Amino acid sequence: MSGVLKNIHRPTLIACGFIVAILAAGTVYTLVTQGSATFIEPTYLLQQIKIAAFLGIVAAGMMVVVLLGQIDLSVPWTLAASAMIATAVGGPWAIPIGLGIGLAVGIANGLGVAFLRVPSMIFTLGVNAVLRGLMVMLTGGFAPQSSATKPMIWLATGQPLGIANSVVVWALLSVALVFMLTRTPIGRYIYATGNREAATYLSGINTRFVLVFGFVVCSLCASFAGLLIAGYTSKAFQAMGDVYLLPAIAAVVVGGTNILGGQGRYSGTVVGTILIVLLQSVLSVMQMPEAGRQIIYGLVIIAMLLVYGRNNTVRG
Amino acid sequence: MTDTMKPLIALSGVSKRYGGVRALSNVDFACGHGSIHAVLGENGAGKSTLIKIISGVVQPDEGRITLENRDVTFPTPQAANAAGVVCIFQELSLMPELSVSDNISITAPPRRLGLIDRRAQRRRAEELLARVGCEDINPLMLVKHLPLSRRQMVEIAKALGRSPKLLILDEATSALTAADVERVYGILHGLRAGGLSMLYISHRMHEIEELADTCSVFRNGQHIDTFPKGARSDEQIVQMMIGRELHNVYPPKPVRNAPPPVALEARGIGWEGRLSDISFRIGQGEVVGLGGLDGQGQRELLLALFGVLRGVAGEVAVNGQKTHITSPAQAKRAAGVGIALIPEDRKTEGLMLPMGVGDNISMAALPSMTRHFVVDRDIEDKKIAEMVAKLKIKFGKLSDPVATLSGGNQQKVVIAKWLLTGARVILLNDPTRGIDVGTKQEIYQLLRDLADAGTAILFYSTDYDELIGCCDRVLILYGGRIARELTGPDITEANIIASSLNLSFPASSGAHA
Repeated sequence: MSGVLKNIHRPTLIACGFIVAILAAGTVYTLVTQGSATFIEPTYLLQQIKIAAFLGIVAAGMMVVVLLGQIDLSVPWTLAASAMIATAVGGPWAIPIGLGIGLAVGIANGLGVAFLRVPSMIFTLGVNAVLRGLMVMLTGGFAPQSSATKPMIWLATGQPLGIANSVVVWALLSVALVFMLTRTPIGRYIYATGNREAATYLSGINTRFVLVFGFVVCSLCASFAGLLIAGYTSKAFQAMGDVYLLPAIAAVVVGGTNILGGQGRYSGTVVGTILIVLLQSVLSVMQMPEAGRQIIYGLVIIAMLLVYGRNNTVRG
Repeated sequence: MTDTMKPLIALSGVSKRYGGVRALSNVDFACGHGSIHAVLGENGAGKSTLIKIISGVVQPDEGRITLENRDVTFPTPQAANAAGVVCIFQELSLMPELSVSDNISITAPPRRLGLIDRRAQRRRAEELLARVGCEDINPLMLVKHLPLSRRQMVEIAKALGRSPKLLILDEATSALTAADVERVYGILHGLRAGGLSMLYISHRMHEIEELADTCSVFRNGQHIDTFPKGARSDEQIVQMMIGRELHNVYPPKPVRNAPPPVALEARGIGWEGRLSDISFRIGQGEVVGLGGLDGQGQRELLLALFGVLRGVAGEVAVNGQKTHITSPAQAKRAAGVGIALIPEDRKTEGLMLPMGVGDNISMAALPSMTRHFVVDRDIEDKKIAEMVAKLKIKFGKLSDPVATLSGGNQQKVVIAKWLLTGARVILLNDPTRGIDVGTKQEIYQLLRDLADAGTAILFYSTDYDELIGCCDRVLILYGGRIARELTGPDITEANIIASSLNLSFPASSGAHA
């Protein structure tokens, strides 16, 4: 992580500032209305981090795909399908099979984008619809009766280290991802491909492999998040992933990753995730009506992108 | 200064800073009516800034501009266009997905009842294309289907469509082949006869000799001198440009008694009717040129050798070992030697522009710097530093985006990237396009040094001088075939031109005379 800390990433700082501003605004509100400072109590913050872990894992995978200059819209049903099938299978094979589904979806997405050259926005949207159809077919449209296995529940809610395992898992995954992005050739190739695929290909790099790899990482993250969420709520259900797609993309972009690919740091995605989770939480505690919540949520994201400025646009 | 002649446009005391860099300082400059005025200088001398100020892209910090003796300010390029100043920029500004006629009329399409009148637009495009001698371009064709040199002609036609008083050509011929350049000369001379003034920027010395009436030299943001053509010798001009003396432009070629061992052998290369039956050998340490008119298959040949094209017929052997290369990744490892390609367009094919200088340099050779799946930063830094020193690449910090470098330094980064792979066969696609004289010379020397160390070099250039000066042998392509192979003293401009046009060989000035 020293590389990340060496020169602090500007969008990360800005996002941190926004987090402080959100907490401050929420605290003023609670002090006035309830006479307590709920939002700066450690229990509240820890609870939020625990919730953020699920979104954080989805956003981590999404960031890799966005760095490639692509997008993965199949995340919601990759997540749901993995969770539903894992709980349906049950037993010791639940987790491997859940992840196997992520792997398969990732390979399918990657092959479609890298070899068939279908734009990822269209291809992954199609894959998402196919997965949803398959799941409806398998369950007959009802919520599955099966429940999460013990290891899944343990991974999501157990806390042998004093903090929830989901947070530990998120932290470990983050370290691994930062290492991959900054220290390995494949990490360098991901940035290079996102900046200019033609130049990367002509540098003798197998860009198709890089694309497939990126989509696999994203789908694996989504399916892993699915398993954790199923463990947290102790069951899988239809459409459980739908609420994660847009927040995940928002977390990546708010964290300073260029939506056109090639630029961004993982630290930004972590801070972006926390920002999105806190924003949603503070708005709901303030008993803002749903419509107002959505409006503020959207405006904050747009405002942050304006603050970053548009000087980092890709040229040529 | 030509005070006797009333200038069309004059700048006085113009300065411009970018941050801490003085791009132009206190420049007085004038351009007369109906003349072709060449602006010379190395990259970074301030030519581009001068042009951007005249054409309204940037605003000067100080100084004033007069056009036809009236003070003017151009807050936007549109304002400059309206006043009759039209610029053809170095970076082509055409939309590849639109047709030629759409592009030509893009700012002010002819309208009827508020809708674009396609027929009038097409007629207009035909007229303007005819003015630049390109009647053969179909105005309905998409620009992306035209080769680079034709696009440049469309660009000129588009500029003429704005009825300019002052036409600025920034490196307008750098993408053109010699035959097209001739045609452009004719057009520009015709336009001058019609009273149009032109500012002409080029790195090609002989173009300036052919074209310009007046020359101005810039160096480090200052206007050094203006003089009528012919008043200074080439040496003097170059010396003014670089501020030091220039010795031999091209390094000496080695004398060979026996043919060197073959490094790359191609037999019967063919591809989709664009290349047919191309066979040749390149020896270790040889610099072989690829010449001919533009679009005769030179680019395709390089891409075919590098494994980019699908369905290439024929055989390629590297160091006597037959290879089957179907991707650049395989070319990089071919026969344990490695083939490198310096691509045509460094900005889109050679570099990841927003990435750092260091990241770009090490990109192709990362596997050789990796231990247990991790990039060894010490080795990487050391190898990058070696390349930076060897090629004298100039930049601020290694982490600066490569987009911030000058064209010459960007090209050096592309070359450094491939030298790090240790490739023993290097293919180059017009590597000196749009690069200043000093850097060109360094690249020529570098190629010769590499060859002397045993590297085989295949070098496509649109500049005859380079082929003559740099190459041991030159292959001239015509219609996707090798029309002629020129060796040693036979590599002359006359022979290259004749072979390019597939004419019979004129009497050799060398061996047979």
